[in-house]
Amino acid sequence: MIEFKNVNKWFGKLHVLNNINLKIPKGEVLVICGPSGSGKSTLIRCINRLEKIQNGEIIVNNTPVHDKLTNLTKLRAEIGFVFQQFHLYPHMTVLQNVMLAPVNVKKIAKAEAKKIAMEKLEQVGLTEKHGVHPAQLSGGQQQRVAIARGLAMSPEIMLFDEPTSALDPEMIGEVLDVMVNLVSEGMTMCVVTHEMGFARKVANRVLFMDEGAIVETGTPNEFFDNPKTDRAATFISMILTH
Amino acid sequence: MLVDFNFRIIFEYLPLFLTGLRSTFFISLVSISLALVTGVIACACRISGIKILKYPAIAFIEIIRSTPLLVQIYFLYFGLPTLGLRVPEIQTGIIALMLNSGAYIAEIIRAGITSVDQGQLEAGTASGLNYIQRMRFIILPQALGVTVPPLLGQSIVLVKDSALLSLISVMELTRCGQTMTSERFMPAEAFFTVAFFYMCIYFCLKALADWSQRKLIFREAY
Repeated sequence: MIEFKNVNKWFGKLHVLNNINLKIPKGEVLVICGPSGSGKSTLIRCINRLEKIQNGEIIVNNTPVHDKLTNLTKLRAEIGFVFQQFHLYPHMTVLQNVMLAPVNVKKIAKAEAKKIAMEKLEQVGLTEKHGVHPAQLSGGQQQRVAIARGLAMSPEIMLFDEPTSALDPEMIGEVLDVMVNLVSEGMTMCVVTHEMGFARKVANRVLFMDEGAIVETGTPNEFFDNPKTDRAATFISMILTH
Repeated sequence: MLVDFNFRIIFEYLPLFLTGLRSTFFISLVSISLALVTGVIACACRISGIKILKYPAIAFIEIIRSTPLLVQIYFLYFGLPTLGLRVPEIQTGIIALMLNSGAYIAEIIRAGITSVDQGQLEAGTASGLNYIQRMRFIILPQALGVTVPPLLGQSIVLVKDSALLSLISVMELTRCGQTMTSERFMPAEAFFTVAFFYMCIYFCLKALADWSQRKLIFREAY
């Protein structure tokens, strides 16, 4: 479903993605972790071309993402993206936030889009908040709206860039619960996170990155209990003891 | 002192002042409308990222902002004829005010656009919205609220700047004061009246600015 072939990316002199090769089959839940600056966010941002790559190839559903001829609108419509800082549109209500892309990108009629949006809000448990503005919601609620906004496009893939890192501890659970539900629906997901509990519970695979390269991959239990590399072992001991 | 103040002569000259007021009003209205168009175009070029549009726009904005308006007016007044363009004074004045305010308005609009959080644009991009849709649905509704009050502020500046056109003998409000002074030598009465009319325009525009601030500025809905 998603495939990276010898992907390299530089920010100036910084080699931020170093020869990445990766296959993510349909339905897989992949957790990406690693120290700050290791390239994990950049990796998932390349999947829907929020970032350009300098060489190599990324293929999503048989479409080469970084080809000039690729229909980016169609590609992005199939990929939901959830940001660390939510990035809801503050001048719109929750419902308008969720409906914006279905109405204007997929050209779905408003009544139909509203129905879909309400379904997605129900899925994240926020039906009763559809008429309020984002500023009236807690961080956790805002992030759940952001997830609903992504789901409203009926994507085949959901990408999460540290979805719980900007949240107060007591709100992390409600967001992770929504994500766990998505897993049970068979969604293909790439999640950049350090939530070990989440990774152990639902991830098929954990990918550990450092300095732009994939250092280690394994099942969550393998990775967290018996890391193969010293670098990963140090990292795990640090997130455990902080 | 005030007892010596000759109100009779003010009333005698009132028709002249009203013509001047009308002229100032007309010049300001036309200039600010054209300046708005200039500003939008200059700003669009400035943020376009296309080099042949961006750099001329930056040059235009910086040249205008780094030189005095009076110098710009003289430059056009004496410069245009040497290029073979014989333009009446009033139009020269309008062009000068248009270019001058246009440069400032370009920066006001740019500030409004850049004040919108870039992350929201990324969210729009990620969900498949194209550039025009992102502008229309995400940026402009938020940018508009923050740009309207400074735009009205710029209009107030322009009205007062239009007084400089008296120096190229455009018959506007200030010029009327100069005319009365030279005919009757009563500068205090003349410029008291001129100032009074500018204040009237100012308070009208200020009321509009305050009203728009209450109405348009986007407030987080609590």
